[in-house]
Amino acid sequence: MMTTAISSNLPVFVVIAPFIVAFILPTISRRLRLVESLTLVLSILLVVGAGLLTHYVKAQDTATFYSMGGWTAPWGIELKIDSLSAFFVLVVAGVSLPVSMFSVANLSGEVGNSYRTTRFYVLYLILIGALAGIAFTNDMFNVFVLIEVATLSSCGLVSARNEPVAAHASFTYLILSTLGSTLVLGGIGLIYILTGHLNMRHVSAELAQVWQSSPHVVWMAISFFLVGFGVKTAIFPLHIWLPDAHSTAPSPASAILSGLAVKGFLLCLLKVLYNVFGHSIIFEFGIDRLLVLAGSIAIVAGSIFAIAQDELKRRLAYSTVAQMGYLFLGLGLMNTQGLKGALFYLASHAIIKSALFLTSGVIISTTGKKNVRDLAGVGRKMPLTMAVFTISSLGLIGIPLFSGFIGKWHLLLGGLETGNFISVLTIIAGSVLCAAYLLPVIRIAYFGSAPEESKGWKDPGLPQKTSLVLLAALILFLGVFPDPILELAGSAAVNLLSSG
Amino acid sequence: MLFLILALLSGVVGGLIVAAIPESRERLRNLIVILFTALGTLSCWVVGISAFSGQSIMLVGHIAGFTFSLGPDPLGALFGIIASSLWMFAAVYSFGYMSEKKRHRTYFTFFLLSFSVTLGVAFSGNLIVLYLFYELLTFTTYPLVIHERTPEAVKAGKKYFLYSLSGAGAILVAVVFTYSMSGNLSFSDKPILAGSVDPRLNWLLVLFIVGFGVKAAIMPLHRWLPSAMVAPTPVSALLHAVAVVYSGVYGVLRVIYSVFGHELISQLSFGRVLPWIAAFTILVGVIIATRQDILKRRLAYHTISQLSYILLGAFTLQPLGLAGAMLHMISYSILKVALFFSAGIISEQTGETEISKMIGVGWSLPKTMTIFGVASLGMIGMLPLNTFWSKYYLMQGGVEGGRWQVAVVLICSGIVNAFCFIPTVVDAFRGKRTEGVLNKERGKRLFLMLTPTAILAVVAIFIGLWPGSVWPGVEAVVDWFF
Repeated sequence: MMTTAISSNLPVFVVIAPFIVAFILPTISRRLRLVESLTLVLSILLVVGAGLLTHYVKAQDTATFYSMGGWTAPWGIELKIDSLSAFFVLVVAGVSLPVSMFSVANLSGEVGNSYRTTRFYVLYLILIGALAGIAFTNDMFNVFVLIEVATLSSCGLVSARNEPVAAHASFTYLILSTLGSTLVLGGIGLIYILTGHLNMRHVSAELAQVWQSSPHVVWMAISFFLVGFGVKTAIFPLHIWLPDAHSTAPSPASAILSGLAVKGFLLCLLKVLYNVFGHSIIFEFGIDRLLVLAGSIAIVAGSIFAIAQDELKRRLAYSTVAQMGYLFLGLGLMNTQGLKGALFYLASHAIIKSALFLTSGVIISTTGKKNVRDLAGVGRKMPLTMAVFTISSLGLIGIPLFSGFIGKWHLLLGGLETGNFISVLTIIAGSVLCAAYLLPVIRIAYFGSAPEESKGWKDPGLPQKTSLVLLAALILFLGVFPDPILELAGSAAVNLLSSG
Repeated sequence: MLFLILALLSGVVGGLIVAAIPESRERLRNLIVILFTALGTLSCWVVGISAFSGQSIMLVGHIAGFTFSLGPDPLGALFGIIASSLWMFAAVYSFGYMSEKKRHRTYFTFFLLSFSVTLGVAFSGNLIVLYLFYELLTFTTYPLVIHERTPEAVKAGKKYFLYSLSGAGAILVAVVFTYSMSGNLSFSDKPILAGSVDPRLNWLLVLFIVGFGVKAAIMPLHRWLPSAMVAPTPVSALLHAVAVVYSGVYGVLRVIYSVFGHELISQLSFGRVLPWIAAFTILVGVIIATRQDILKRRLAYHTISQLSYILLGAFTLQPLGLAGAMLHMISYSILKVALFFSAGIISEQTGETEISKMIGVGWSLPKTMTIFGVASLGMIGMLPLNTFWSKYYLMQGGVEGGRWQVAVVLICSGIVNAFCFIPTVVDAFRGKRTEGVLNKERGKRLFLMLTPTAILAVVAIFIGLWPGSVWPGVEAVVDWFF
């Protein structure tokens, strides 16, 4: 009885638990160890929960709908439990566990006293909760609420370091992001006017009847969504807030922001485009070509900007701009292979970018060097850190047996299937450019001559090491045994394409 | 099976051991290097000879939804044997050459890792494995290119990397393309795409040729090769005259004979253009070579030209042409390594890298310059040397395929080759032997450098006199594909 109650309410637990813990933390902010262990335990529970959900979803053929508080669809908020949501929750849980572990006994150096550190954890958990919510929600207005929660907590995380630069970056992010949210709200409003519904299933059914009679309204709504989510997912050229925000945040925050938060917004866009509008509307307005074009431009431009950066974290931040392009591109290919590849790439990039930000955080806090050209000697003195950085870089470039390769392979298959050669070209060009901005870091770190001051440099403490090794192992594991995740992504892609 | 695993792993294991040995333990390191290289080479011969006799050994694994198969067919076996044997010579030469240079540990670690990766290329059983090792080869050889750590070396390294990775990108697209067309990527005696009709096949061929053409230095994709000459001489000799560039050539051969098949290529319009691209590279490459004053750069452009001999032979799509290509693959590599080794001795002992300043060096380095002279004769294709036979078969193949122009190109190239090297040799012995000239061919270091060079020259003459000694390998490859 107890077990069925828990298992049938599992999605709610996964969403609510981070919020509950987040509200407990301020009361125990004096005891930092307790705060940290509570966060870690929660992260482990999230992984278990996500694993159970995946297991449940795999046994099921169709999506399950859960009505919050017993209020059914048109009135209450509905959660949709299918392979897409299980997949995304798995990614969120899988990345947040190493990040939480990394933060243990490490954060106060970057953030400040225990009070500030606790505040960081509160925002962090709220963000995780919001992202988990985004995975499940099937209600348009709920989407808006959750992205607002995610945005505000992200802004807080960006400004966690007590520095003017961080405050400035956070403020820019807040302004632009709010503009984005407003546009999204406008889009939701237009859809509500048109259909009278907020539940995605009902909206979609209604929209299929009425969109031809008022195409201009639909076109406007889509534009609002594209630009609104475009700002939040930092698609080029709406990315201008991202490099500042992600490079000034403390490294666990950068990891979670670059690794997960932008993907959360992308997932919203994905749901809105595929589950609400459906592919007949997407084709009618040429959104698919627009997405591929935007993605291609982002890949090339983001990478070129990344090459131009000398500051390590800024380089990684621009790399996120480029890598988001792959996801947009995959979204626009409109076939199973491409979408599957994009989803797998999402998971792969979440892990890889977290690993890159965490390792660069270690390097910066140990050596005090922010710039790529000053990293000589890091490879010798901090072997484990640099090894993880190298593995992640190879993964991002897309060498076989690393996770990025599998994603790119399916994206390429998808691109060839549509006959869209621009996409094929940019996927490959992106790999080469990615090598051009990541490999110099490795070259300087390993082959540069170490300066005098490098004597005291060493790998970080045990929790940090464990977290980095875990991430590196995940990259290799997904590269060698991608099937479980790939199947999940594949069935999510099939569901997305068959709906609407 | 055991030997196959030994051949593939000896480099990796040896490399990791070398990485763990402290910089100062030179003798121990050299011992490990030679032991593991010898082990790998020996296993490679065993595997190769059994492949020539038709027994195929395969390591097959299923990883990440792809089939990974490793095991040579005759072509792979031939490439593996050539590369691994020359690796032995280069190892011994390196002991001498590197003894007065820095960073031995890094050098020999990547030297051995590249050994494994090259054999991985040679033994790849399908396109995915070939792509994987082709890409990895760039990574393991990059540290060797930038070994000097000068700004020039770093710049050359960057160029090498971008060219190679772009090529690998083109290959990846082509592999995915092939996969979506046929669903099969394995090499066998029957080509992957045999019998398929698709208007896009031409583009697929272009992608493959561009991809592998980067490392095979087909013009205009050759520019990385001359700048990569900043690497230490054994690296230039082994990697940039044989192992790395041959992996490109090998890739092209695979594409022609294992992916498309000679029947399909002859129907494609781009397939008919290919011999002319190779002919262009042969002539332009060697003409540019004669205009270079820095000896290593001259050798580099000469490499570019010679690699296209092999490609030209393969592009004739005739059994005799392929036989010529295989013979040239064997013969050229031996002579070119000897040439590079001699160039290394000259620059180390006299400090001269420019040909115009090498007048009279023959008197202080008589043995070296003699070997250089012998190898130069080989590059023209004179009889006691092995390259005579490869040129003979290449011309036969060309004529047989209805392209008499091939023979003309090869003869012209032979003449330009004479202008390329013979004056250097003559200049080296010009003037009278004066009293003050010292014999600079003494000492342990020089012994280590000169011995492999001399043996290579002897081997070249031996093959020239008894071409039947390498014929079984060549014949096995030709029989496999025709």
